[in-house]
Amino acid sequence: MIKGFKFDPRTKLTVVLCISTLGIIINDIFSLIFILVLTFLIAKFFHVNIKRSFKNIKKLLYLIFIIAIIQSIFSTEGKALLFIGGFKVLSTSGLGKGIQFILRMMIIIFSAAIIGTSNSREIIQGFVQWGLPYDIAFMVALGIRFLPILTEEVKDSLIAIQLRGIEINNIPIKKRISIYSYIFTPILAGTILKAEKLSIAIEMRGFRAYYNRTSYLVLKMSKWDYLIIFISIILTAYIAIINFTR
Amino acid sequence: MTNPIEINNLYFKYNANSDYILKGVDLTISKGEILALVGLSGGGKTTLLNIMCGIIPHIRKGEINGEVKLWGKEIKDLKIIDISKKVGIVFEDPDTQLFLPTVEDEIAFGPENLMVERKEIGNRIEKVLKMVNMEDYRYENPNNLSGGQKQLIAIAAILAMEPDILLFDEALAQIDDDGKKRIKDIILNLKRGGKTIVLVEHHIDTLDLADRVLELQNGKLREFKGW
Repeated sequence: MIKGFKFDPRTKLTVVLCISTLGIIINDIFSLIFILVLTFLIAKFFHVNIKRSFKNIKKLLYLIFIIAIIQSIFSTEGKALLFIGGFKVLSTSGLGKGIQFILRMMIIIFSAAIIGTSNSREIIQGFVQWGLPYDIAFMVALGIRFLPILTEEVKDSLIAIQLRGIEINNIPIKKRISIYSYIFTPILAGTILKAEKLSIAIEMRGFRAYYNRTSYLVLKMSKWDYLIIFISIILTAYIAIINFTR
Repeated sequence: MTNPIEINNLYFKYNANSDYILKGVDLTISKGEILALVGLSGGGKTTLLNIMCGIIPHIRKGEINGEVKLWGKEIKDLKIIDISKKVGIVFEDPDTQLFLPTVEDEIAFGPENLMVERKEIGNRIEKVLKMVNMEDYRYENPNNLSGGQKQLIAIAAILAMEPDILLFDEALAQIDDDGKKRIKDIILNLKRGGKTIVLVEHHIDTLDLADRVLELQNGKLREFKGW
């Protein structure tokens, strides 16, 4: 059944919604670890390349760790674990909150990777068949499409600077920041220009020509999709009830 | 008989500029005609094309004087949505024309907006992909294609909408010789089918398919007598 089988994007969206909800409502660290492991297993089931996902979000993980450390420093409740100059830097509660934050973010990020196994058109159609207006679903997908364009613009500008003889990695951070500020304006201007051209191209292809539109792609759910949606909702409700009644 | 495009004494300048870029343009294009526009870069060819398809004055603003009519109706009075049903434009840069994850989705987008039936959309996708010889790329992500291939898909996406007027803004610049020959054949076929085509071109080898070649110089149109 699984090999070569294509799940409906609505199934994936439901699963992601269920996992993320659990990740947010659960506070217990061990339960969060259990949800994270479950997320990895489910992601694997939907053919997510976990190793590649880790690579893609490596920089984001650093940021998550830094935020977790800052959060643990400012949370002073609980038993003190580390003092610096009489100032309580780390407490049991702070450490717990930091770990909770890391686990939550990882659950959300890796569950979101499941959506990435469908293309944006399928996801738009999934939302549309759920009743969301096409315009809104399309605009969200278009916004997401712009992220790689922005990254490309930044990369191109950095390469252009390096080709002029500046070794961006070997210069002090202060100078590096000022170089980034130089390229910020042309990148922003270029992106706005591209966005304008894209919007003109969309309008010239009859976007919003009529109140309704036909759809060449029509999603159809199989019995496996219904089964997975049913299991996900029941399991989420069960775990949530246990969590709140304990 | 009403002509698809009629322009009388057209003056235009962008808000940011002090000088007019178009200074008294007169042009009538008849049904089934292929017109080529040539001229120096920055001479106003793209501006003129943008006026013909309503991007100016509906999306891009500026000072516009004179008459621009599509099938006898003033372009100022037509909505951009109504114009898009009749006029298709292919721009120079394919990257800003393709925004969906597969070639199939890209081609289906226009007809979907125009409420074409599903079955008919499927037929059109097959037909236009065959026309541009890109049938093997139907389920590819356009981002993974070369510049020339992307441009062929952009052209196919416009052809699938079956507009009466087709505008090509240096759209053949990135396409290789084989692709160019194919597109030229398509354009000639469209002409036979009664479509009106306007090409903005720099390459002399593309101009041979035009019924008329006009040069835009100093904001005015005149007969092209060679470089």
